[in-house]
Amino acid sequence: MAGAALRRLMAEYKQLVTNPPEGIVAGPISEENFFEWEALITGPEGTCFEGGIFPAKLIFPFDYPLSPPKMQFTCDMFHPNVYPDGRVCISILHAPGDDPMGYETSAERWSPVQSVEKILLSVVSILAEPNDESGANVDAAKMWRENREEFNRISEKIVRKSLGL
Amino acid sequence: MRNLLVTVATLALTVVVVGNAYIQKKQFYPSVVYITKSNPSMAVIYLQALIIIWLMGKLMQKIFFGELRAAEIEHLIERFWYAITETCLAFTVFKDDFSPKFIALFALLLFLKIFHWLAEDRVDYMERSPIISWLFHTRIVLLLTLLGVVDLYFISFAYHHTITKGASVQLVFGFEYAILLTVIVNTTIKYILHIIDMNREVFWENKAVFLLHIEVLIGFIKVALYMCFVALMIKLYTLPLFAFRPMYYSMRNFKKALNDIIQSRRAIRNMNTLYPDATAEELAAADNVCIICREEMQAGAKKLPCNHIFHVSCLRSWFQRHQTCPTCRLNVLRSSPDSQSTPHAAAPPPPQIPLQNAGVPPLFAFPAWQPPFFPHMPNVNIHQANAPNVGEFQRQQQQQQQQTQQPSQPQMSASQSQPFSSESGTSQTPGAFIDSSFSRQFPFPFMIPPIPPFIPGITTPPLPPQNWNGLSLEELRQMEDTGRRGVEARLQCLRNIHTFLDASVILMQQYLTSATITATSGVTTSNVGSQNNTSDSNKTNETVAATNLSTDTSEPSTSQTMFSNQSFETSSTSNSASDKSENSNQQNEFQDKLR
Repeated sequence: MAGAALRRLMAEYKQLVTNPPEGIVAGPISEENFFEWEALITGPEGTCFEGGIFPAKLIFPFDYPLSPPKMQFTCDMFHPNVYPDGRVCISILHAPGDDPMGYETSAERWSPVQSVEKILLSVVSILAEPNDESGANVDAAKMWRENREEFNRISEKIVRKSLGL
Repeated sequence: MRNLLVTVATLALTVVVVGNAYIQKKQFYPSVVYITKSNPSMAVIYLQALIIIWLMGKLMQKIFFGELRAAEIEHLIERFWYAITETCLAFTVFKDDFSPKFIALFALLLFLKIFHWLAEDRVDYMERSPIISWLFHTRIVLLLTLLGVVDLYFISFAYHHTITKGASVQLVFGFEYAILLTVIVNTTIKYILHIIDMNREVFWENKAVFLLHIEVLIGFIKVALYMCFVALMIKLYTLPLFAFRPMYYSMRNFKKALNDIIQSRRAIRNMNTLYPDATAEELAAADNVCIICREEMQAGAKKLPCNHIFHVSCLRSWFQRHQTCPTCRLNVLRSSPDSQSTPHAAAPPPPQIPLQNAGVPPLFAFPAWQPPFFPHMPNVNIHQANAPNVGEFQRQQQQQQQQTQQPSQPQMSASQSQPFSSESGTSQTPGAFIDSSFSRQFPFPFMIPPIPPFIPGITTPPLPPQNWNGLSLEELRQMEDTGRRGVEARLQCLRNIHTFLDASVILMQQYLTSATITATSGVTTSNVGSQNNTSDSNKTNETVAATNLSTDTSEPSTSQTMFSNQSFETSSTSNSASDKSENSNQQNEFQDKLR
């Protein structure tokens, strides 16, 4: 019998395949390694990221679901909650205990109740409504707050790039 | 492509160097001497050797691992640079022994180290991949055996060398290979555990525990080895700086493993003692899926204080890290019952039912204070006789009301013919009769009957037991028990406290009700009130309360409540006799006045 982490990942994959949430596709990159996933996230409608399809990589730890996975966009992304190198900074991806930004309560941290689906839905929601207080990308946070037009222009560019246009 | 280019270029350089030497010297031996004497030529030869080692490594990798994964390569490169740095540091200690042979030995060590790391990573990978081929097993078994044999050979070689020729750089090698051997042993054990796990049909709960124990053991051996080595090196040479980083890491890992094991044991202990097993109904009521592993729960599920249910093994591994409920983040350690060590004073023992009086019909007259608007009062006797049938809640309420009335009872209860023998113990309070009859005649929601007005200042809430006599030795022992029974006994205790609290809430409501009655219902009641007030105050002591409490329990209607203070009866019988005679006098007096 396979390990607990692997079985849980397989269960989540099955769930995502049989009952996919809108605008999200995710699965292991290769059948041989269930601990590296690729996800495609559609930019939520009515936002500046509308229409974009953003690929991201999910790396799961050995002790998943006790520890959170890491998520990183593999495309260009300009967003207050995404580091310039693509790593996503949302509270549910942080294990209780460590607090990189010093602003989160433990109630919004990772717990085994979370899942890939919930993570991706959270990411969709921060695409729609960035949290400019956490500021993984300070430039983006500042622009989002002060110069929304410029921000929208850049995100439109990113959307077009993500579609290969 | 670049690798191929480098290989070809190096080969070409070597050919040029060797060809040049041969052309110049024309003979084998002078050529060799020429090459070794010429530094540029030696540099090329060293480079060639390096390339050959690298090619060998590639070949070994192809044989034993096939294609390396990105994570493995990343891991390897990171470790490799540390190893190189430490090797250079080691050179500084042994600069006197510096020779090509010495470098070759270190290169071999590094080369073997790399394969140890890769083997470790590969075995860890077994847990990640759903597909493990026979090729994988063959490769791992072969590699582990080979590396183990090589390690053992070098250890014995170093040992003999040190024994026969005294301390030398062989000490470092012997030690390094010993550390590598622990890695191999650890990897082999992990591999075996993974194999066992994979061939099992059901989930192997104890695997994590096994792994943890092995980690601690291996960690301990490593730390001990490093300690010995550093001590030896300081004694024979100098401070072995190159061993400090790995020593620090192995100590940290050991500490972490030890901590893990302690946390794990605590989690297991808590799990076994604090949280009850989830029953089949509870499992069915929840959606029967453990939120941690997303699998169905059949047996071996535990319920947390917050009513969330998980697999035992899943909870254990989570509690090792965080002592919170995964779903609601309730801190399970903080919320566990505090009464564990200090059973609360207010905790009456579990029900013990004195039923000897069950059939005795209560003898009494109507309460003197009976308000005219209680038309059902004539039926009181009949209802009381049937009282054992009333529901738990009713009984509880009744009792609470009895308790509320206890302080004022001496004046208010008009039962002239009340039997006073403590044996029969049916010192009925009028409130009780009214309640039972009342609640039977009225629909259920009307649970709080209007009780006779009395002076709020006199009334006391249900009194907690005054001493430990209230709990029998057996009950106390039960509460101290660590097992399930102990927890249940403590829970029972807490529940009793809860009932007491409920009682006081109801009391408050009664105060309010009685206040309104006093306001609306004429002179009689207010008279009674003033009577109570004037004649009593000094008798509303705890003894009376306790006495009444004890006699209440023997009354059939309340005999099954949680407040069965059987032991109070014994403790307070002596007091009760005198109090009761006093009570009877006053009651008589009281009734006369009312007439």
